[in-house]
Amino acid sequence: MHCHILIAVVLWSISIDSQTIRGISLSYKRFYRERKSFLCIDGSKLIPFDQVNDDYCDCVDGSDEPGTAACPGGRFYCTNLGYRPHYIPSSRVNDAICDCCDASDEYNSHTLCQNTCRDLGQTEREEVKSQMKALDEGLRLKQELIQEGIQMWQDKQAQLRDLQRVSDDLQTQLDDLRKEDVRRKEEVDALRELVNSHRGHNSTESPVSESDRSRDGSVTVKEVQAKLADIQAEGRDLSEDGAIIRGSSVPGQPAEEEDPVVKAAISAAEKAAAELKRIEDAYEAVYMEIRDLREKLATDFGPEREFLFLHIQCFHQKVNEYFYELCPFNQVTQTSASGAEVSLGKWGSWADSRENRYGQMKYVNGEPCWQGPTRNTVVTLTCGTETAMRSVKEPSKCQYAVEFQTPVACRLAQRGRGIHSEL
Amino acid sequence: MATLIDRMCLQLVLVLSIYLGMTQAVDRTNFKTCQQSAFCSRQRALRPGQSSYRALLDTLELSDSRLTLQLLNNNKVRLLLELYRLQGNITRVKINELKPIKPRYEVPDVLITEPQTEPMSVVAQDERGVVLSLGGEDRRLYVNAQPFRLDIMEGQVLLLSINSQGLLAFEHLRLRKDTISHKITSTVASMWDKIKTVFSSSKDQTDPEEAGRTEDTQRNNEDEETEVDQPGMWEETFKSHADTKPNGPSSISLDFSLPGVEHVYGLPEHADSLQLKNTDGGDPYRLYNLDVFQYELSNPMALYGAVPVLISHNTHRTMGLFWLNTAETWVDISSRQDPAQVPQTDVRWISESGIIDVFLMLGPKPADVFSQYASLTGTQAFPPLSSLAYHQSRWNYNNQEDVASVDRGFDEHDIPYDFIWLDIEHTDGKRYFTWDKKNFPQPKDMLQGLMDKRRKMVTIVDPHIKVDSSFKIHSEIRSKGFYIKNKDGGDYEGWCWPGNAGYPDFTNPEMRSWWSSMFAYDQYEGSMENLYTWNDMNEPSVFNGPEVTMHKDALHGPWEHRDLHNLYGLYVQMATAEGQIRRSGGLERPFVLSRSFFAGSQRYGAVWTGDNAAEWGHLKVSIPMCLSLSLVGISFCGADVGGFFKTPGTELLVRWYQAGAYQPFFRSHAHLDTPRREPWLFGPDNMALIREAVRQRYALLPYWYLQFYHAHRTGQPVMRALWVEYPHDVSTFSIDDEYLIGRDLLVHPVTDERSTGVNVYLPGDGEVWYDVHTFQRHEGAQNLHIPVTMSTIPVFQRGGSIICRKNRVRRSSSCMENDPFTLYVALDPQGNAEGELYIDDGHTFKHETDRQFIQRRLRFTANTLSSSDLSPDSQFPTASWVEKVFILGAQKPKGVTLTTGGAVSSVEFEFDPVTAVVTLRKPDVNAGVDWTIQLQ
Repeated sequence: MHCHILIAVVLWSISIDSQTIRGISLSYKRFYRERKSFLCIDGSKLIPFDQVNDDYCDCVDGSDEPGTAACPGGRFYCTNLGYRPHYIPSSRVNDAICDCCDASDEYNSHTLCQNTCRDLGQTEREEVKSQMKALDEGLRLKQELIQEGIQMWQDKQAQLRDLQRVSDDLQTQLDDLRKEDVRRKEEVDALRELVNSHRGHNSTESPVSESDRSRDGSVTVKEVQAKLADIQAEGRDLSEDGAIIRGSSVPGQPAEEEDPVVKAAISAAEKAAAELKRIEDAYEAVYMEIRDLREKLATDFGPEREFLFLHIQCFHQKVNEYFYELCPFNQVTQTSASGAEVSLGKWGSWADSRENRYGQMKYVNGEPCWQGPTRNTVVTLTCGTETAMRSVKEPSKCQYAVEFQTPVACRLAQRGRGIHSEL
Repeated sequence: MATLIDRMCLQLVLVLSIYLGMTQAVDRTNFKTCQQSAFCSRQRALRPGQSSYRALLDTLELSDSRLTLQLLNNNKVRLLLELYRLQGNITRVKINELKPIKPRYEVPDVLITEPQTEPMSVVAQDERGVVLSLGGEDRRLYVNAQPFRLDIMEGQVLLLSINSQGLLAFEHLRLRKDTISHKITSTVASMWDKIKTVFSSSKDQTDPEEAGRTEDTQRNNEDEETEVDQPGMWEETFKSHADTKPNGPSSISLDFSLPGVEHVYGLPEHADSLQLKNTDGGDPYRLYNLDVFQYELSNPMALYGAVPVLISHNTHRTMGLFWLNTAETWVDISSRQDPAQVPQTDVRWISESGIIDVFLMLGPKPADVFSQYASLTGTQAFPPLSSLAYHQSRWNYNNQEDVASVDRGFDEHDIPYDFIWLDIEHTDGKRYFTWDKKNFPQPKDMLQGLMDKRRKMVTIVDPHIKVDSSFKIHSEIRSKGFYIKNKDGGDYEGWCWPGNAGYPDFTNPEMRSWWSSMFAYDQYEGSMENLYTWNDMNEPSVFNGPEVTMHKDALHGPWEHRDLHNLYGLYVQMATAEGQIRRSGGLERPFVLSRSFFAGSQRYGAVWTGDNAAEWGHLKVSIPMCLSLSLVGISFCGADVGGFFKTPGTELLVRWYQAGAYQPFFRSHAHLDTPRREPWLFGPDNMALIREAVRQRYALLPYWYLQFYHAHRTGQPVMRALWVEYPHDVSTFSIDDEYLIGRDLLVHPVTDERSTGVNVYLPGDGEVWYDVHTFQRHEGAQNLHIPVTMSTIPVFQRGGSIICRKNRVRRSSSCMENDPFTLYVALDPQGNAEGELYIDDGHTFKHETDRQFIQRRLRFTANTLSSSDLSPDSQFPTASWVEKVFILGAQKPKGVTLTTGGAVSSVEFEFDPVTAVVTLRKPDVNAGVDWTIQLQ
């Protein structure tokens, strides 16, 4: 604020100094040092100095008439002592509308303008003060929220790692189970074949136990296959009838179902398949979760992930008979008094602007309008100490505009914006 | 918000489906063709031939200025012909039944006064007819007795003939035959059956499909006493709408032949070329005020307004036919273009009821026809200057904050505007004269905010009144009995924006007076002196009515709606304008925009071309549509910039602003369903182009204002077809993609997509034109290719003219009130130029009541530019002065001196040898005084 008073003092002295040349700022004074002639600032023309501010436009750049409305596209400098100096289009000089708070633009109109700069300055300074306070508070809160975001991010990352680990485990299990499943199925197939082929040989023993070459009481797949090979070799010596006989035995009582060994093998294979399915489902679920989480984590939550904390929340506002809900990075909805819910758009992207990459969010592809396009919403983020919806508007039919306030929209750069001087 | 609208719309969808069905274009089946209109069908079946009417010469009576004569045909129902010679080379022909069983409607309130007559005398008379002198040197009216026919001759030249095609037809009023009235039911099919039964013995029995076409034979075999009832005479059904016709058939028809005429114009409103087309083989031009949803281009279908005036033109003569009838009217145009024969155009008018009352405006020059027509129906209302500036509108600006933010947007982007408009959503539930409490809680604050910027607002006030006993306007109209009645005598009700609505009877002067009183500041709550009015839907639009309008059997006191339908819209605007005048104690000029209109509507304000679309074709047609209106007195015309329906691309939007900036009424407007369109929403380049177009308009406001002053004083149009100023140049006769503003500016807007150039015809052999942007000089009477970029608006100033501009464009026109003028002196090849300057307060009637204005003649001749008083008995103090003078087509002077009030001073100047332009620096002389500037 000290700085401001200083500026005011400086301006005071300027305004006395350059009062003969109306409508210019200190920085332009050097162009108007009183001499015999005046060179248009763009250098296009040299005119007698008494044609400066003589209410006739000589210079194409308008520089000879800073204090009158003579030049199209010219500009007039409001000194606005006590408030902010600024330029107005010169077409607003003497148009019977008070534009400069120091009334300097209406020096030759019938309109009486009050000098309101002091009040405006006062109000603005207070406003700026509270804004700055809010900004400071906002920036402080932002840091907390960033921390919260970092924590959340880390949690999410941990969650992702956990999920990844689970996924890896499941993967290993899956590999084993798939092998086991295949083995079991082959075994059952082999046993079945064995039983069926044995039926032609009138063996009193179970063909399976017969094949227990190692005599260790269990039948391995290899043993079964070996036995099977023997039988097949025998079969080749047999007449073709063998095949017929074998074939004719199938529709009869399935031999393998009576065979306890086969039964046990089938049951074991079924169990293995069930286990595989269970783990596959679990793996699928975990995979989806990982994908969703990755997708979410890939969202642009700002350079410091300051917007991250918003994504698990929803915010509300009631406007007239409508209830609006904004779930950042997800969707915007409108619910009428009758309870009908309408989508006003799903998260699309940040609306990039040169000034601020994170100033506006776009929600697109909401419910189609009656005979119109689909609804969409632009959410404008403003700096404030609270996180809340401030307003909802519908400037064009089915095009919604939400103002959303949050500390994370506060930016350090805004600190310099409070009072900015043309000087 | 949107969903609410959706819901409401869905509720209304049944009744509105006809109206709102989002088809790509108009649903033609909602509107009648001539064939579907019983009287048109009956009348059109009558073919040219010898008239069955004869004039009974023994009934001739001639007073000083009026001749009467009875006409008779085989039906023995006598007609009374009245002929008047009116001041200013106009002949009036009236034909009515001599003794109708009840009065037939004669149109009130369209003529500004009972026209002044002039003496007529019988020059010759024998058993074949009478010859009357119409004054002038040798202007004669020949009345041929049998067949009845009228011819107007000037010397040896036949100007026009009436009933030479024998198409005079007069369905006299009659009593209904009981048998029919009892037997006919409301369904068409059974009606036809009944008619067949009733007339089973008739030789003229008609197949329903062939109904109209057999009249020919009937006419030729006319049986004197038995007049056969024709289909649709006593009842007619269109779609689901029955038209009971308790008065039976009443239509009239008459033909006019114009020898030597190939070009006819007028008959607005149609979305078609300026030059009227032959209607042989198609439908006639229809005049029946209708709310046509998404109208089509290039066809003769009726639109929102009707002016039954036709202008004929050839190199020798311009004439006008004014058919004063407010019932549904169809006009057939048939041009003979056989090169072996003298060209001729035949025009045939058919109206459903009323009388034949036609004014023959005999010219001979275009300007004469305009003054003749103005002497009958009045001139253009002189609008407040600000209403000629730019208007920003959309359906809808949502609330006060929205209005404030749009207002701010114009200032932030340094684009001037004068009026911001509020459409129907600003009201409390479409109750006009009220405000939506949520969105417009403090209308006066809003209006004050605009007033602080010297800007204004327009709110919509439509003539359909929500039926709601708690709504003051409704309950008062109901209790005073001011509503139009249905055929059964109850208040007529129909669907419109508010749902069920009543329609005030604006034909009733007491009703109009009451309506006017509703605009008083203490009646229209929240209104202030910078609030003006827009009358929409005044055809009237009735969503669930036949052809989206009122039932013809509705009643206005003793008259059926059928008789006066086309006049309703005029009355609404009349009463509204009167309300604005009255609220200011008679001091302030009103501004009222109307969608519907009739002959005479020019007296009450502006009109626009209704609900157009964001298409190049609609931009293009805005020129002939406004030119047609201008020819028949309505100068204050414009089209929605950008197009109402649909969304314009940026190129179309920019081109439309550029075109609109050079049309009389300049308003952008958009449908509720379209995205926002404020000029800064299309990127800085397009914004800059739009701003430049709007600024050109503001700079030229002094010229526009002068043109409207002339239009108001003399009836000459503001926007003129080229042939109006170059009547001998045949190549101008069909041009309707360029036009003149006044005499001195020629505009050829770019109306094609991705255009790289336009072909401009510059008229005037021996004349020169100057490009207003580059000062480049072009010879007249040539076609010129003008290359264009996105910033080009091809405009040319006529050599020989002086135009005044105010180049200090500010945020509204009021802010420019005291600004200095820049004079553009465009020399003709002889080094002369002439122009005018008009200044007054811009908004009151004091120019009329107190003669408070300045009107000056600016003349450049013999190297001297002078300003002299054209109206020494008027006075107005002005702060405006002359800041700069451009002299185009000049030679370098040695010196320049200014003489004013006896003092002589020298004036600095520059000369550009490339463009041959002398620029005078700051003559600094008051715009209201005498001065001369001498170039040595």
